[in-house]
Amino acid sequence: MSDTLTRSGRTSSRLVALASAVLLVTFIPLFYLVIRAAEKPVGAIADLLLRPRTVEIVATTAIILVAVVLINVLLGTLIAAGIHFVRLPYAHLLIIPMILPLAIPSYVFTYTWIALVPDLSGVVAAIFILVLTTLPYMMLSIVIALRRLDSGLIEVARTLGLSKTAILFRVVTPQIKGAISAGSLLSGLYVLSDFGAVSLLNVTTLTVSIQNLFKSTYDRSGAAIMALVLVAASTVFIALESGLKRRQANESASRRTGTKHLRISNSSARISLLVLVSAYTFVGVIAPISVLLSRFFSNSAPIQWAELFSAGLSAVSIAAAGAGLALLFSIPLGALVAQGSSRFALFSEKAVLVSHALPGVVIGLALVSLGSKLGPLYQSVALLAFAYAILFLAKSVAAMNYSLQLISPSVKEAAATLGKSKGEIARTITFPIAFPSIALGTLLVFLTAMKELPATLMLRPIGMETLATQVWSYAAVSKFNEAAPYALLLIIIAAVPTFLLSLPREALDRPRNSVRDLQLGESR
Amino acid sequence: MRSSIASSLVLATAVLLSGCSSSTEQESSPTELTIYSGRSQEFIAPFLAEWEKKSGIALKIRYADSAELAAQIREEGSNSPADIFLAQDAGSLGAVSLAGLFTTLGDEVGAEIQPQYIAADRSWIGVTGRARVFAYNPRLLTDLPQSITDLANPVYKSKLGIAPTNSSFQAFVTALINAKGEDFTQKWLESLVKNDVQIFAKNSAIVEAIDSGKISIGLVNHYYTWEVSQGLGRKISAENGFFTSGDLGNMVNVSGAGILKSSKKYAAAEDLINYLTSQVVQSKFVAETHEYSLIADQISPAGLPSLSQIGAPSVDLESLAEIQKTQELLIKVGLL
Amino acid sequence: MTSLEVSHLDVKFGNRKVISDLSFSLSSGEIASLLGPSGCGKTTLLRAIAGLLTPSGGTIRLGTQLVGLSSLSLAPHKRSTGYVPQQGALFPHLNVARNIAFGIDKKKFSRSQIESRTFEMLELIGMSGYEQVMPTELSGGQQTRVALARALAIKPKMVLLDEPFSALDAHLRNELRADVIALLRSLGATAILVTHDREEALVASDKVFLMRDGAIAQYGSPEDVYENPTSPEIAVSTGDAMILPARQSMDGTVSYPLNTIVNNAAGSKGYVVIRPEEIVVSQQSSVGMKAKLLALDYFGHDAMLTFSLAHTSDLIKVRVAGHAGYLVGETLSLSHEGPIRFFKE
Repeated sequence: MSDTLTRSGRTSSRLVALASAVLLVTFIPLFYLVIRAAEKPVGAIADLLLRPRTVEIVATTAIILVAVVLINVLLGTLIAAGIHFVRLPYAHLLIIPMILPLAIPSYVFTYTWIALVPDLSGVVAAIFILVLTTLPYMMLSIVIALRRLDSGLIEVARTLGLSKTAILFRVVTPQIKGAISAGSLLSGLYVLSDFGAVSLLNVTTLTVSIQNLFKSTYDRSGAAIMALVLVAASTVFIALESGLKRRQANESASRRTGTKHLRISNSSARISLLVLVSAYTFVGVIAPISVLLSRFFSNSAPIQWAELFSAGLSAVSIAAAGAGLALLFSIPLGALVAQGSSRFALFSEKAVLVSHALPGVVIGLALVSLGSKLGPLYQSVALLAFAYAILFLAKSVAAMNYSLQLISPSVKEAAATLGKSKGEIARTITFPIAFPSIALGTLLVFLTAMKELPATLMLRPIGMETLATQVWSYAAVSKFNEAAPYALLLIIIAAVPTFLLSLPREALDRPRNSVRDLQLGESR
Repeated sequence: MRSSIASSLVLATAVLLSGCSSSTEQESSPTELTIYSGRSQEFIAPFLAEWEKKSGIALKIRYADSAELAAQIREEGSNSPADIFLAQDAGSLGAVSLAGLFTTLGDEVGAEIQPQYIAADRSWIGVTGRARVFAYNPRLLTDLPQSITDLANPVYKSKLGIAPTNSSFQAFVTALINAKGEDFTQKWLESLVKNDVQIFAKNSAIVEAIDSGKISIGLVNHYYTWEVSQGLGRKISAENGFFTSGDLGNMVNVSGAGILKSSKKYAAAEDLINYLTSQVVQSKFVAETHEYSLIADQISPAGLPSLSQIGAPSVDLESLAEIQKTQELLIKVGLL
Repeated sequence: MTSLEVSHLDVKFGNRKVISDLSFSLSSGEIASLLGPSGCGKTTLLRAIAGLLTPSGGTIRLGTQLVGLSSLSLAPHKRSTGYVPQQGALFPHLNVARNIAFGIDKKKFSRSQIESRTFEMLELIGMSGYEQVMPTELSGGQQTRVALARALAIKPKMVLLDEPFSALDAHLRNELRADVIALLRSLGATAILVTHDREEALVASDKVFLMRDGAIAQYGSPEDVYENPTSPEIAVSTGDAMILPARQSMDGTVSYPLNTIVNNAAGSKGYVVIRPEEIVVSQQSSVGMKAKLLALDYFGHDAMLTFSLAHTSDLIKVRVAGHAGYLVGETLSLSHEGPIRFFKE
């Protein structure tokens, strides 16, 4: 590693400048919060922070956060390991219904479950809904780690006399700790920033409290102060997570030495897996979708196809613009991390996570404040896409880092000695190898942006409706039947990237060259 | 490579900038009007579409929560793209008015609307009336409250639902503070909290909870029982009830409209407000949105007493804008 | 292919000097080995020649072209050095044919020229028919072959091999090494092979450079560095060697355990370096020194005998062809028939 230092000294300063610029841009909402919060006298800030209600709200948020993460770790590990190790016909396909709930926004989960269980409300209900919403993040993370697991290690452990259970705990678990930790971070930050589910379930978390205070017209600084409390909470969570996480040594360097998998084929394991998978499929996919379908078919009013189509088109195009911008922003940050773990690179990795935990309403408000001074840019698709980019940059950066780590430096050096300039190496080596993972990361941002609500409501161009805003506004006046087509279309569109996410990465990491295609060039 | 990314970013921004047409049309011939509507699309859109057809002016409408839009307008200040702000309640209108962002409406605007529903400085004008009521499940509750103070009685323990974030509720609390003082209001709110009042995010959720029997009574606006029943497509187990005449629980609030000072299209905006406050359209509101007309001696929504018969207390609607105290109080007692 | 001249090369990582004032040259068509323990700077030197790092001082010339200078360094992609990194570093997303064709200039050559060059290379490395195979499906040896073909396909000015065989098992390693060296020789390639295997360095190259702590400690033909080490340590680094205490008298004669009983009082103190194959074992007690056979390690083609002498604690190692029928415990006589390499203490 150290021998690249002399080589990259000059370029990395330019990179650092570019990355700093991106970070600065993503910190706009934070600056806004600090300025707004500072409008309140210190005494009033203290009063707000120290009132029993604040303590109660923070405690509620913490309880939900911890419960959701713990349940996710338990269920996620069990199901992911089950799908990976238990011998079942078509076991690899089971991952699809496990990941599919990613396509369903938390507020749609909540609406549909309230339709089934009208009494649903409170902290326990919030934990239930948020587990449904975030479990796929955990599972996806673990499944990917398991697919990369060196099965040679398992074989060695078996020769050393370890039972299958012992192997799971002593060999497999330590190997997927990083993935569990990353999954916890993703689902935890989601819980912190979720607004739809908790507000519909009458649970006052920090996000709901911020929204409430913001709605109070006069008390925007109160909202800002509570938002800073949320920033502090997410910072603590991120710090805890990175403290717990033992950084795994460059995963791409580890080679698969074994060929055979550990296979569990006893019937109790099979039955438990099937029960878990079907239960989750039922509560996370079948129940909400069947509620939507029954609403859809019991809708007496004719469907406004033109409106539905234009909302779908807006949703897709704005989300795509947001994902594209997030991708653009993540390039300097990813390149920085790929160059080596400098202190600044580590900082930037954590810093993008802070914005990730900010609720959409905060970013929306900050961009209203700033954007209204920008003339035609205000309430433009560009500004909304920019908001999405800030909100979901962390996802894009994570994918970027993952994919750039796939490329060993010696491969790039080999290309350099073969007469390729830096630009050509980026084009012929880095991009083709990293592309599939980066594309998946961008799809994930796209997916999340399409479900986003609070910032969309605040920043969308006037007159433009997306699927999410239509679902929200119909549901807000209890017109669930009318909301159903929008929710269904949202889920159908979101299911496409979700399905791609569930495919084995290896299949995508290595583009297949068709047998007949002997075009000896870089261009494809 | 990196510099080319930076430059393409700049380029993209420039394209987007140039792509958006700047809207600096002159007052003389506006082709479009921008509306921030706190009134839900579901109910107001047909009326606005009708005006569009009539006037030939296209409307750009942003729908959201009234309080959120008021906050957004205050945040935007003189840069607001909005011409008209349509709000669910007088409090949100008052918030914008207090920030000095509304222009004064001419005397000819909404000439038929009764004066108690218009801001004294003519910064905004009421469009429809909405009465505070208690909704209740007649199968679960026979012991109906006479006054809001009755709600602290053990009969209603864990049975009462409120929506403290809802601006109609906050307007009602503001009126209570103005009429009875802060101490009284605080004690009343605390007595509700002690009586395990159930918190909801919005009025419709309260009515649904009453219908499902989760609670038996809730403080809402009069049209929610109708609206929820419409939404569910069936008759529901929730009815409106009124407190004794003059009780603040029977307060009448308005939805209304104001024209932004920053708007360059006053004439067109005025025309729209005149349309909404005309006799024909007012009676349409009664029939189609189940709200009260603000013109004197009009028929009331089906199944409800007329505006003059519900025993509404006299409340200065402009004072409802002073919700800062209200919110501080709600925060203090832990309802926000 | 061209010659190489490195002079007064310095390479620093931060404040740490990894290579200091290193100079050597290589004629066109010569194959050199860089031999040294890990951390001595041999890979760093190779990377400096390839242009993968910038030296802090000195110059590197390929033929007449100056490519490396502390202030101005020609980028690696303009040097045309065929670089074969450890474990090949094949492009994982490209098949074998595309890997090999990767460096060929698409502007200079037509598609059919590139194709025929690729086939030629595949034939050269004995892997015709592997065009469509992906790198992950290749064995370690095949990966190394493809990496070599990829480097050679660009007709490089010289070939740089960074421990290309280190990950392979012994049998495959010897075979592949012989193939690769024969191939490089048939092409008249100027090449540098970095290795930590002393046999590999001797068998493969025209010149051996022995590196120690960022400098070249000795260089020369394989025979030369093996036969005439400039220090006992270097002797050990090129092959098995015994370092025995010795004395040199004023007239230059050296006394050491295998020719006499060393008189510890006379002459200047030092060491002799003796290779195990330079000692002759005999059953006749009249010649040489008596020694008792302590151990016999049989390798098949030869055997290593370990003796103890009566008058010294130093053990003597002797290499003999085949098994030779000696018995552990018997007393034999040893005589040294080779150069007496004396190093003053």
